[in-house]
Amino acid sequence: MKNYLELVSLYAKVHRKQNRMSIFCIFLSVFLVTTIFGMADMYIQSQLLKTKKEDGNWHIALNKISDAEAELIAARPEVNALSCYGTLNYKLDKGYQIAGKDVVICGSDPAFLEEIYPNSISEGTFPQTEHEVVVSGNIKKELGLDIGHQILICDTSGTTYSYIISGFTSDMPMILSKDIYGVFMNTAAFRTFYPGVTDGAPDDYDSSFFVQFHNHRTIRKTINDIKTQFQLSDTQIKEQAMLLGLLGQSDEGNRFMLTIYAAAAVLSTLVLIASVLMIAGSLNSNIAGRTQFFGMLRCVGATPRQIMRLVHREALSLCTFAIPASVLIGMVLIWILCAILRILSPMYFATMPTFAVSLPSIVAGIIIGILTVFLASRAPAKRASKASPLAAVTGNTNHLPPVRSAANTTFCKVHIALGIHHAIASRRNLLLVSASFALSIILFLSFSTTIDFMKHAIKALSPWTPDLSIISANNDVNENLTANCTIDRSLITILQENPAIKRTYGRMFAYHLPAVTNGREHTTMLISYDEQQFRWAEKYLLNGSIKEVQTQPTTALIVSAPQYNNHTKIQTGDIVTLTVNGQTTEITIAGMVSECPFNTSDSDILLCSEDTFRQLTGAENYTIIDIQLTRNALDTDVDTIRALVGATYTFSDQRMSNQSVLGANYSFKLFLYGFLFLIALVTICNIINCIAMSVEAHMKQYSGLRAIGMSDTQLEKMIVVETVCYAVTGGLLGTILGLFLNKMLYEFLVTNRWNDPWQLPITELFIILTIVIVAVILAIYNPVKKLRTMSIVETL
Amino acid sequence: MKILQVNNLCKTYGKGETQVNALKNVTFSLEKGTFCAVVGASGSGKSTLLNCIGALDTPTSGEIYVDRNNLFTLKEKERTIFRRRNIGFIFQSFQLVAELTVEQNIIFPLLLDYCKPNPAIVEETLEILGLQDRRHHLPNQLSGGQQQRVAIGRALITKPKLILADEPTGNLDSHNSQEVLDLLIKASRNYQQTILMITHNNALAASADRVLHVVDGCLTDLGTASGEGGLYRDEKLS
Repeated sequence: MKNYLELVSLYAKVHRKQNRMSIFCIFLSVFLVTTIFGMADMYIQSQLLKTKKEDGNWHIALNKISDAEAELIAARPEVNALSCYGTLNYKLDKGYQIAGKDVVICGSDPAFLEEIYPNSISEGTFPQTEHEVVVSGNIKKELGLDIGHQILICDTSGTTYSYIISGFTSDMPMILSKDIYGVFMNTAAFRTFYPGVTDGAPDDYDSSFFVQFHNHRTIRKTINDIKTQFQLSDTQIKEQAMLLGLLGQSDEGNRFMLTIYAAAAVLSTLVLIASVLMIAGSLNSNIAGRTQFFGMLRCVGATPRQIMRLVHREALSLCTFAIPASVLIGMVLIWILCAILRILSPMYFATMPTFAVSLPSIVAGIIIGILTVFLASRAPAKRASKASPLAAVTGNTNHLPPVRSAANTTFCKVHIALGIHHAIASRRNLLLVSASFALSIILFLSFSTTIDFMKHAIKALSPWTPDLSIISANNDVNENLTANCTIDRSLITILQENPAIKRTYGRMFAYHLPAVTNGREHTTMLISYDEQQFRWAEKYLLNGSIKEVQTQPTTALIVSAPQYNNHTKIQTGDIVTLTVNGQTTEITIAGMVSECPFNTSDSDILLCSEDTFRQLTGAENYTIIDIQLTRNALDTDVDTIRALVGATYTFSDQRMSNQSVLGANYSFKLFLYGFLFLIALVTICNIINCIAMSVEAHMKQYSGLRAIGMSDTQLEKMIVVETVCYAVTGGLLGTILGLFLNKMLYEFLVTNRWNDPWQLPITELFIILTIVIVAVILAIYNPVKKLRTMSIVETL
Repeated sequence: MKILQVNNLCKTYGKGETQVNALKNVTFSLEKGTFCAVVGASGSGKSTLLNCIGALDTPTSGEIYVDRNNLFTLKEKERTIFRRRNIGFIFQSFQLVAELTVEQNIIFPLLLDYCKPNPAIVEETLEILGLQDRRHHLPNQLSGGQQQRVAIGRALITKPKLILADEPTGNLDSHNSQEVLDLLIKASRNYQQTILMITHNNALAASADRVLHVVDGCLTDLGTASGEGGLYRDEKLS
């Protein structure tokens, strides 16, 4: 032993058990901080993957620049890939078709399908000559073509252009959901094909240059350099804001990333406060039990400053095990969460690394861990330095606690009275413990508003969302047609026989019907619902009756969906006079719903039964038949359904776009529910720790009470009463402040944007109060068990 | 009538090389109304003996009968209730409940037993202890001597057959020590209570009816102070 501070390790070796509680507290706080930052990091990583997959891995797109300028930019060391990219017939308005189906024609350099959208070519190679094209994968399935086969593109004049297929792209959500084809040419072929332009600038071919940079940290500087060097205006540079934001390189996107990290920082600060309280409490109770030891050190010549150093060193030495262990466990938890995300949405998150190391979470965990311990050890160190040398000499360390008033034994049994008194006698203690209970409730109720925000902000799949849709070929919402229902209704019966189909349902549409309501002229859209769709609508019923619409003729539901700018003036009970095929009919509005499968702000949407629709329009067949597939349905099943439906109708495959929605939902939900889970964990651990420390602090007194005849049951009841007192006051305080903050945040996040009024969050309140009750039960269990086995003599 | 009977009591701490035999085959008995002092050097096993008799600690072997009840054949809960009703404790460090007043502390064992205290008895006890004017005070508002008097009152209130006192005057000055001793003797005489008191104070031990000497866990009966055997008094006089 060369230094008095070595006493710390020697003492710890002998008294291993004594530091367990403090180590656990440090472990818990570092684990929580690591996990919180790790989750925030994971969320950003997941968004990064999703954005790259959906919108492409490019950082800026440059337009109105020449090929020569593009070449100069491509030669810059910061640029990893640069590709020209242009489209023709993107809005399907130019009439280009392959085998009677609309086709989007794209022209790009190889880098576009290899670097910007990596792994886009599932089979074959990028077109090497002007006569070659890569085509979308659905061409192979639907037209039975293969690499080396000829493909013909027709334009509106009937001219055909022949190309050789050099490869196929993987499936793309837009191609599948619009039931169209895609063709990729090289830039030279595209420019040759592009109508009306010869030797034009890239911009004349509706092309831009997509740039991907190497070093993500210097993107902002590189963009500014390029802008200055080539004297580009703001309109010439389009930034991929989401991706740059996620990389921390865009002011606009930074806000998003900073919001995520800010949420983590706020939560971590609250965890920090709770941790300081927890660790300080545990160190305090440790120090309190060693007054004689510190007194003895003072006796043999240690100065108060040396004692303080000793306590600080002791506290920091506890970190040597707690911090690495908690960082490791936190990382393992993040790995598990990433694995869950990969399983839930493999399409987007399959490439998430299995054992990713989140540097921000590790750094935050270590810094906050050390900071917390340092802050938490200050008060105990001061307390230890004030230990009386006299106490060590005389052994008289048992001072009576400062009590101001006596327990009231008049109205309740003495052990109950003592329990209540222990809890409420010291206002400071009551406030601290109750506040720590309340902190968790406040945190939970505040963060739960983000779930409401998520439900509003992120589009979720509706119960009626189809995997496949068969759409009437003449269906066009912009035309005033009442007879666009061309899909034979018997097709539903045939489809239902397919085991890969879980559910199928049809709708009839009549667009832009002239109507008069309360003297006001307007247009309406009439949609028919079958029984299943009415069942789904029940969840969204704002008022009125769905049953009435199902059973009564000439009744309908009105859709009021302000979230889609559909602000209808029609109310339940109104009479809408519809003019259909020259005849007027009065429709009674029997109810109002907030959602339907189709939304428009142009006209009011009326939902009626199939009988009412037929009666009004005379239509017999469907405009759309939607199909929901079973979980195990394969691509071959979809091909079979497509073959069954034939080419008469548009066959929209929405599985990929549904996956995109699900992917966004899963990552956000995992992030938010993960946070809420951590808050619940903080609540449980904090309450358990609070009660354990309170019992620990009173252990000597409890022994005294047992020695003078208090039974174990009475002692247990006393602890239960004390804990219940804290839980009730903390619960009340937390509920009042939590609801106040919940309302404030809800109005800020939701009401301001979607006009939804705040409602009492009964479910959330029930969940957190249940967690508190469970935590209280768990908190009581251990001390009670300990008391039962405790030796009176040893603790007296 | 024997109130306390201790047979072959052994208490061992630790195992192997670190094993310590704190009590070695201790056997003795006490008659009703006896005021007995236990003396011995520090670490000799006096407190261990008292803790075992008071059922605060469990002996390794042997039997303890209090009023013909074998303490260690009773279940934990029964033992606690038996101790509460039949054994009074007085500790060196008083062990008062800080949150209760003088009066509440004294009647505390009765309250634990869900009994309604008899006001006359409470009054009498407070009078004997000289604490009538302090009945509503909290322990931290009392002197050491007063606190120990409250502890004695608490030990007496249930009229236990046996009172165990572990150095009750250890934290008191000579004046207060004498007061406490007088109270204990008074209790022993008036209420025919058996008192077993650990003390280092020879003068206090000399006031006892009987003195037990503990050396390295072995107990020697030094006889009665009143002359029967008279060993302790003789030793002290010589």
